[in-house]
Amino acid sequence: MKPARIDLKKLFALLLVVATFALFAGQAIGEDEEEDGGTIIFTQPVKAVIFDHKIHNEQGLECDSCHDDLFQMETGAAEAGDDFTMQALYDGKYCGSCHDGETAFASKTRCTACHIGVKGYNRATGVEEKSGHSSGH
Amino acid sequence: MKISELEKLENEGTDKLPSEERRRFLKFGLAVTGVFLGGSVLSLTSVRNAQGVTGAKPATGKFSYPKHYTMVLRQNRCIDCERCKEACVKTNHVPGYGYRTTIMEQMRDIGGGKTEPVFMPVLCNHCNRPPCVRVCPTTATYKDKETGIVMMAKERCIGCKTCMAACPYNARYFDETAGVRAVDKCNFCWDTRISKGETQTACAEACPAGVRIFGLLNDESSKVYKLIHAPDKKVWVQRPETGAMPNVFYIND
Repeated sequence: MKPARIDLKKLFALLLVVATFALFAGQAIGEDEEEDGGTIIFTQPVKAVIFDHKIHNEQGLECDSCHDDLFQMETGAAEAGDDFTMQALYDGKYCGSCHDGETAFASKTRCTACHIGVKGYNRATGVEEKSGHSSGH
Repeated sequence: MKISELEKLENEGTDKLPSEERRRFLKFGLAVTGVFLGGSVLSLTSVRNAQGVTGAKPATGKFSYPKHYTMVLRQNRCIDCERCKEACVKTNHVPGYGYRTTIMEQMRDIGGGKTEPVFMPVLCNHCNRPPCVRVCPTTATYKDKETGIVMMAKERCIGCKTCMAACPYNARYFDETAGVRAVDKCNFCWDTRISKGETQTACAEACPAGVRIFGLLNDESSKVYKLIHAPDKKVWVQRPETGAMPNVFYIND
């Protein structure tokens, strides 16, 4: 039964190839999920503002809708600038480019849609908040 | 039935309330404090304070102080950056286990399975009828006749903490610092800033979103007066049903 043994070898080789491919493919898929930028939490100038890439992608926006004209792709680049303020948004910079009341809700409205505060930041990063004497009556 | 007619009725209190009625109320998360007539609760609050539900604006000339300090909180602007808390801690040396002001959070359903937080800054309400002052056995906490601020004379505090239990706003904590050992609370930065000529509390100055507006209620040109008396805005206070008559007002603006 010679042919059968060759078949086994081939099968083994094939399996190895498939397994290796699956491993890489799996990694690639994982990378793809990271590729969309994930969830960004800004902590400057105030703690904390959340930006979810997924929600914006689902609106039909492409990477180049914002990168690199409005935002550098590099994390923290916007925060490093002195002009990353609400006033800049009102002037049509950064988020304010779309969040002007026409393309998307105005930056002057719905503060807590993006501002998740210190409490939201602590939840997102798993920090235990100091309780103070906050236990209720 | 008009309020004026209701006022003539005797408040039957809550002890005659059938338990079913009481349960139905508590299910809504409401306190049962109201007038009860013939099997239905007509008001969540006693008629005397019914004004508190609709706006709680202080009656002109009533509870007026020569320098009537008050704070208006424009709640919808609060983003919980907590700079107010940081400024307060720094200014008034508040220990980590207590607070003079803090921010509460509630998740609001905005439909479509999504929620958005609502942040609510809280502090001592400097009530016109302060329950804490009423229960203090040593007059360590008192209502200042000049400013209307509810003050602490810490040297008279014996640490019985009755005021902490009495406060409907959970605005007091016990400061265990050696040499202090007294209840502490917000006093509108009276000793640290206002009595030294500053016009703003530490928290109001630190707020980047213009949430906290501090000023004189008896000065018609002040921002607080204008906000509280804005004709098209709803002004509310925390827990009006307690009848404590706060001097801290909330508005969405």
